[in-house]
Amino acid sequence: VCTSRFWFNYRHVANTLSVYRSVKRLGIPDSHIVLMLADDMACNPRNPKPATVFSHKNMELNVYGDDVEVDYRSYEVTVENFLRVLTGRIPPSTPRSKRLLSDDRSNILIYMTGHGGNGFLKFQDSEEITNVELADAFEQMWQKRRYNELLFIIDTCQGASMYERFYSPNIMALASSQVGEDSLSHQPDLGIGVHLMDRYTFYVLEFLEEIHPASQTNMNDLFQVCPKSLCVSTPGHRTDLFQRDPRNVLITDFFGSVRKVEITAETVALDRGLAAFESKFPEDELATEPLKYAEQLPVAQIIHQKPKQKDWHPPGGFILGLWALIIMVFFKTYGIKHMKHVF
Amino acid sequence: MAAPLVLVVLAAVTVRAALFRSSLAAFIAERVEVASPLNAWKRVVEGLALLDLGVSPYSGAIFHETPLIIYLFHFLIEYAELVFMVTDVLTAVALYLAIQDFNKVVFKKQKLLIELDKYAPDVAELIQTPLEMHYIPLKVALFYLLNPYSVMSCVAKSTCAINNSVIAFFILATIKGSAFLSAVFLALATYQSLYPLTLFAPALLYLLQRQFIPIKLKSKSFWLYTMQYASLYLCSLVVIICLSFFLLNSWDFIPSVYGFILSVPDLTPNIGLFWYFFAEMFEHFSLFFVCVFQINVFFYTIPLAIKLKEHPVFFMFVQIAIISIFKSYPTVGDVALYMAFLPVWSHLYRFLRNIFILSCVLIFCSFLFPVLWHLWIYAGSANSNFYYAITLTFNIGQILLISDYFYAFLRREYYLTHGLHLTRQDGTEAMLVLK
Repeated sequence: VCTSRFWFNYRHVANTLSVYRSVKRLGIPDSHIVLMLADDMACNPRNPKPATVFSHKNMELNVYGDDVEVDYRSYEVTVENFLRVLTGRIPPSTPRSKRLLSDDRSNILIYMTGHGGNGFLKFQDSEEITNVELADAFEQMWQKRRYNELLFIIDTCQGASMYERFYSPNIMALASSQVGEDSLSHQPDLGIGVHLMDRYTFYVLEFLEEIHPASQTNMNDLFQVCPKSLCVSTPGHRTDLFQRDPRNVLITDFFGSVRKVEITAETVALDRGLAAFESKFPEDELATEPLKYAEQLPVAQIIHQKPKQKDWHPPGGFILGLWALIIMVFFKTYGIKHMKHVF
Repeated sequence: MAAPLVLVVLAAVTVRAALFRSSLAAFIAERVEVASPLNAWKRVVEGLALLDLGVSPYSGAIFHETPLIIYLFHFLIEYAELVFMVTDVLTAVALYLAIQDFNKVVFKKQKLLIELDKYAPDVAELIQTPLEMHYIPLKVALFYLLNPYSVMSCVAKSTCAINNSVIAFFILATIKGSAFLSAVFLALATYQSLYPLTLFAPALLYLLQRQFIPIKLKSKSFWLYTMQYASLYLCSLVVIICLSFFLLNSWDFIPSVYGFILSVPDLTPNIGLFWYFFAEMFEHFSLFFVCVFQINVFFYTIPLAIKLKEHPVFFMFVQIAIISIFKSYPTVGDVALYMAFLPVWSHLYRFLRNIFILSCVLIFCSFLFPVLWHLWIYAGSANSNFYYAITLTFNIGQILLISDYFYAFLRREYYLTHGLHLTRQDGTEAMLVLK
């Protein structure tokens, strides 16, 4: 979630897109990502390099790419929409791409960036979300079994205040600065004219670029990213609500889509009733040979396809009744004597 | 008289066939003046396609035709153009035969009244002669078939043509005197679009006149005959509605057809008076005004029945005109039906006061309809007020036409019984005014 508007907050969009990019690279598909960007930097009229968002001043990495899928854009990024996405209380007309379709086995990563203060995060220069609201939203998610484990990363000034109030289990939180400290931006690019990234996310991105889907790097390494010497602010983290030891939590548990696959050497007997079900079908109905591609729909059949036969027919009773009535009217008007002409 | 009729029919069929083959057919089919939500052809096709997909055609708000139309077009959809041309021809032939019989009735009645000395001595020039009445049926058929309104309605394949033909058969059955057939056709016409219900009164009056039953409220034979006719009509209506239930095994068609006609939810512009009002109205007034507008159609029946009880066929003409002006979704096809009757009252020409202005108004408005539609919808330099102004003017023209004919008819009747040269008490010339 990037919560800042305006061109000079380019770095917040770049932050968000970097994390988005890493997460996609490690295997999470767009259907499992809700990306909220409060402003469009790539197509901003002040962008001298249109359709790009760079993370480094040497333009090494264009985090915008070809396949960025923004779910909530511009004025749709509001506190209400964010909380609705988290808690799942969305109007029925919301499309799937705008929903967080998680269940009690899902690990959720939430990354937020923007301008913040002691206990709040500013949305769109007009409203705020407080740490109490966020904690309550996470508690709602826990009660509705919408997550298994949750990793919350925030890169704003005084970011640690945002995770102070969490009280739901299985939440791990990281922040770029402590209360009373400001998170600083990394470096400006003189060609583009604004600061491109924040320090914390810059070093997190550098760290994540080393990760691949099979890596065994754990959370403790993530906690060491961006020490005070590089970041100027002191990054913080909170693990007391988390049940596992951070040493045993892989980065790819949250940042990547790595499934656990077990190869078993023994056979498993499925339900025995299934065999009886299968034997009901006579043998000759099943195809003995697979059809070749060309045989499946011969060209002649496609060319000379007749128009579709009408499937609906009026019921017999209706037709009978209607014609009986018509005949009755006819004979009432013209007399019974015409009956002899019929027979 | 068969040969000229056949010639007229051939000419009409040629015109329609030529237009069907030309590129104008698609343009005319989507004009809102010709196709309303109740009778547009593409909605019929949509409904039948939905049926083929296994969905009830009444499940959306698209299809508002009756189940009998579904049945008719299920088998005839490939020959749709032929069906509509045949329908128009049948309407014209029915009107021809009806007016032929009606002329005989008029002539007989005139003779009776002359012999009974009910007419004033100096009205010889007002009496209708068989010579001038000879070509009236042909003119009626001609007026219906070659009226640009009915040609456009046929080319657009609007089911208004079917409604017109049912009403024409109803008129034929009434004038021939068969109460049973007339009740059946009236039930069919009411079943398809609700408003021909008001034609019950003129048909009843005509049939009473034909049976020589005097229209007195205390007379037993009057009530007996009225009950008979009303029960025939209601029974056939109930039978037809119950039969329609068995087509799709559901009563869905009742809210879709009759609920739609009465509650006017669709506010697409047409040549009627409803759309603009209800587009501009606040929600909480709309129920009241829907009731007011619908009552307006049925309201004129009783006063006209009282005034025109001696002249039920003129009453029928005025009633059809009122239906086609005040109904919720009128189209030019409805206008074509009552305009076909104008030659029957051509003897009133000398009493019509505004006929030139009114015909100019009607013709100009007909041409301005597509122009202002284009300006509003496509060019964007006009708005709905412009189109509604033309709608209003067209309807005012129609209303003034009908009231002009009404006035002329009553004036002629008055002259017939009181003489052509009316004088006041003091001997100066008097003038008849419609109060």
